[in-house]
Amino acid sequence: MKGKAFLKIFLTAFLLFFAAAVPAFAAVGCDLNDPDRDVVRLFPDSTGYKTSYAAIDKRGGEPLLRRVEQRLRDRFHGIYETIDVPYTIYEIYNGKRKVGYIHGVNQKGQFGGIQVFVALDMEGRIKSFYIQKMTSQWAKKLRDPKFGRQFTGLALKDFEAYDPATGKASGKVAEIRNPAPEAEIDFRAALRALKKNLILIDEFVFSAERGKP
Amino acid sequence: MMTTESGVSLEARGLTRVYRRGSEDIRALDGVSLQIRRGEFVSFMGPSGSGKTTLVNLLGCLDNPTSGELELAGRSIFGGGRILSERELTRIRREVFGYIFQNFYLIPTLTVRENVALPLAFYRKPGVDGEVERLLGLLGMEHRLDHLPGQISGGEMQRVAIARALVNRPEILLADEPTGNLDTKRSEEIGEVLQELNKSAGLTIVMVSHNPNLARLGGRLIEMRDGRAYES
Amino acid sequence: MISGFQIAYKNLLRKKSRTLLTLVGIMLSSWVLVSLLGFNRGYESALNRDIDNMGYQLMVMAKGCPYEAATMMLQGGTGLRYIEQSMVDSIVIRPEVDKVTPILMQAFFDPDKGDGGGIAGYFGVDLTTFPTMKPFFRFRQGGWFHDEQATEAVMGFEAAELEQREVGDMILVPEKNVQLKVVGILERTGTQDDGTIFVPLKTLQRISGIDKITTIGIKVKKDADSAKLEAALYQLPDVQVVSFTQVKQTIMKLVATARVMVLSIAIIALLIAMVGVVNTILMSVLERLQEIGILKTMGAMPGDIFRLVWTETLILCFSGGVAGIGLAFVFARLSDILVRRVLPYAPGGELVAIDLKLALLTLAVIVVVGLLSGIYPAWKAGRVRPLESIRGE
Repeated sequence: MKGKAFLKIFLTAFLLFFAAAVPAFAAVGCDLNDPDRDVVRLFPDSTGYKTSYAAIDKRGGEPLLRRVEQRLRDRFHGIYETIDVPYTIYEIYNGKRKVGYIHGVNQKGQFGGIQVFVALDMEGRIKSFYIQKMTSQWAKKLRDPKFGRQFTGLALKDFEAYDPATGKASGKVAEIRNPAPEAEIDFRAALRALKKNLILIDEFVFSAERGKP
Repeated sequence: MMTTESGVSLEARGLTRVYRRGSEDIRALDGVSLQIRRGEFVSFMGPSGSGKTTLVNLLGCLDNPTSGELELAGRSIFGGGRILSERELTRIRREVFGYIFQNFYLIPTLTVRENVALPLAFYRKPGVDGEVERLLGLLGMEHRLDHLPGQISGGEMQRVAIARALVNRPEILLADEPTGNLDTKRSEEIGEVLQELNKSAGLTIVMVSHNPNLARLGGRLIEMRDGRAYES
Repeated sequence: MISGFQIAYKNLLRKKSRTLLTLVGIMLSSWVLVSLLGFNRGYESALNRDIDNMGYQLMVMAKGCPYEAATMMLQGGTGLRYIEQSMVDSIVIRPEVDKVTPILMQAFFDPDKGDGGGIAGYFGVDLTTFPTMKPFFRFRQGGWFHDEQATEAVMGFEAAELEQREVGDMILVPEKNVQLKVVGILERTGTQDDGTIFVPLKTLQRISGIDKITTIGIKVKKDADSAKLEAALYQLPDVQVVSFTQVKQTIMKLVATARVMVLSIAIIALLIAMVGVVNTILMSVLERLQEIGILKTMGAMPGDIFRLVWTETLILCFSGGVAGIGLAFVFARLSDILVRRVLPYAPGGELVAIDLKLALLTLAVIVVVGLLSGIYPAWKAGRVRPLESIRGE
C-alpha cells in the first residue's frame, strides 16, 4: 500500500506541474500534429520542410486585415479570430528545390474547432485538402478523403466569388458536394476556412514572391 | 621625564647578541657597555658587520639581547635573563623612542599630515594635541600638508618621517642611516635639522651613519669593530 | 587624526585592480548565493499558492483510480472506478470538515480529434458546492450553470481556446453525441482546470448512465487536525485518500535534493571567492611587511595590526557582498519581467523572492565567512617583528 501510494502521489505531483503546459502565444495557432508524418502524406515527393509563423499584425497590421476580410467577403469574428493569431506555414522541399506549401487555419465549427490544412503547389493550386480535427457526429464524412479530393486542382481564383456568409457559390466551387447535409454549418465552415487559408497564404507568401507590396 | 638625577637616559652593561646561522654562532655584539646622557647626540660608525646596527636596535628596544642589561632612566629593561614579548617591547618603545630609517617608509596613500598623525591612531600621549601641525611647521613642511609622499622630494619625505617619529614626544630619537637615500645637499639639510632638534629641544639622538661629516655633527662618536665599541 | 578604518580603506586602494578583482569575485558568489536562496523561497511559496489554489486539500476516491485528469486521459478513460454518492454525507458531518464537493470524472473518446482520435475529459460538478471551493475562478465570459440539471458546460481557458468556443456556442460530447451549451469560459488558472470541461454533476451522470461519483473534494477547517481526518477517512471502505499536503511534501522532497546540490555549488562559489580574499589580503600583508614593522615602531600593538588587516577583509567582504546582492535585486526584477513576457501566465508574485531579511542574512553569512578566513592573514601580520621586516630589504 505504501509503495503504490507513493507512486500515485509522485505521478500526481509530476503531472500537476507538467501537464498544465502553458502555451507561449496569446492566441493559439494551428500546427500539424505530426509534421514528419503528415508532410510526407500530403506531399509524397518531399524530402524535407521548413516551418515558419506569420501573423496579420506583424505582416501588415490593420490594412492587411481589411484586405483579407474584403477578399474573404466576411469579417473576422469572436475572441479567437484575432489579428495576432499565428499561422503556421510549412515550406516543402524536394532536395534543395521548393515544391510547395502546407498551411493550416483554425475555424469555428458547430460543436468545436475545425483545423483545416491545404497542401499547395508552387502555383497555388490545391494538391490535398485535410481536416485534422473536427467535432461532429458527421465528422467522419467530412474527413473522408473522398470529400477532400473534390478540392484538388482548385485555386484561390475559384473561390473569389464564394460568399461564406450566405454559402452562395459559383463555378467549380458550386460543384462541391456536401456529403453530410445534416452538418451544413460545418460544411460551410470548412469552405470558409479553406478560402481564408488560400487568401492568407496568398498574402503571406505568393504576393511576396510576386513582388507586390 | 626618564632621567635620573645624574641625567642618564640609557645605560647598557655587557650587551651581547648572538645569532645562530646554520650550525654557526655569530657574535654580532660582544659585551658592550656604555652610558648615554639626556640631551646627547651620539653617532655610531663602523664597517658592515661591525655590530653598530645591532647595538642601536638593542638600545632602541627593537630586539632582545642574548645577555647583558639595559636600563632606561634607572628602570631595568633587559636583564636577569628575562625576554620581553613584542607587546611589552612595544609599550616601552612608544613611551620613549621615535625612529627614522634610511627608507622613509611613509604610507603612500596617506597625505603628509595623515602620515605624521598615524602613530596617534595607535597611541596618544597626553598633551600632544597640535603636535602634528607644530612639528611640520618646525620642519618647514607647513605648505605640503595635503600632499602625498609621491609628490614631495626625498629630503622632504625624511622631514615628514622625522615629524612622525616625534609626534608622541619621545625622549630619544633613533636614526638608522637617515641620509642613506639622500644626495649631499639634502643630507646636509637633514643633518642641520637633527642638530637643531638636539640643541634647542634637548632631544637625545642616537644615530648610525656611514657619513663621517654627519657622524661628527653630534659631538660624540663611537666606532664599532667586530662587535665591540671604541670611543674616541 | 586618522582612524583605523581610513587606514585600512586607503590600503585597499593601493592596488586598485587587485582589490577590484577580489571584489568582483565576492560580488559574483554573493549574487549567486542570494539568488538561489531567493529562488528557493519563491518556489516554495509559489508551490504553496498553487496547492492552495486547488481549493480543496483532500480528495477521496475509489481505490485504484487514477485521480488526475491527465492520467485518466493518458490511460484512455478506462479503469475508472466509482464511489457511492452517499459517502459525501458521511464525510460532511465530520467536525474537521469545512466543505465537501462530489465530482464525477469522465473521459470520452473522440475519433476525429487528430488522426488517431483523442480523449475529451469532463468533470461533473455540484453547482451548490463546487464554485464555493474555487472562489478564485474568474470568468472570461459568462458564468456557472443555471441549475443542477442543465445541459450546459463551463470550459477552462485552454479547452475553450482549442475548440474556439464562446458563450452561446454548442459543444458535442463524443461517443454519446449529446449537445451542451457553453455558458461560461474561465480565465487562466495555471492549473489543469484550464483544460477541463465542467458540466453539472447530474447532467454528466445522466449522459454517462452512472449514478455514482469518482471523487470527493474536501476542504478542511482552518485549525482542524488534518492528520486525524485523513486517518478516519482511510477507514472508509474501498477508498483512497489523497492529500495535497502529502503531494507538496513529496515535491518538496524531490526538490530538496536538487536544492541541496545547487546550494552546495553556491557555497563552493563562496568559498572560492573567500580564498581569493585571503590571497589578496595575504599578498598585501607580505608586500607590506616593512611597513607593518614601521607601524610597530610607532607604537602599534600586535592587536592593532590584527584589527587593521581584519578591517581590510571586512571592507572587501562587505562591499562585495552588498554589490552582489544589489546585482541580484536588479536581475531578479529583470528576469521577472522577462519571464512574464515569454509566458503570458506565470505564477503570481515573484519567482525569485529576495526580501530584505534574506539579503541581510546572506550579507551576514558572507561577512562572517570572510572574517573567519581573514583571521590567518591578520594574525600573521600581527606577529611581524619590526626588526626582521625592516631588515629584510
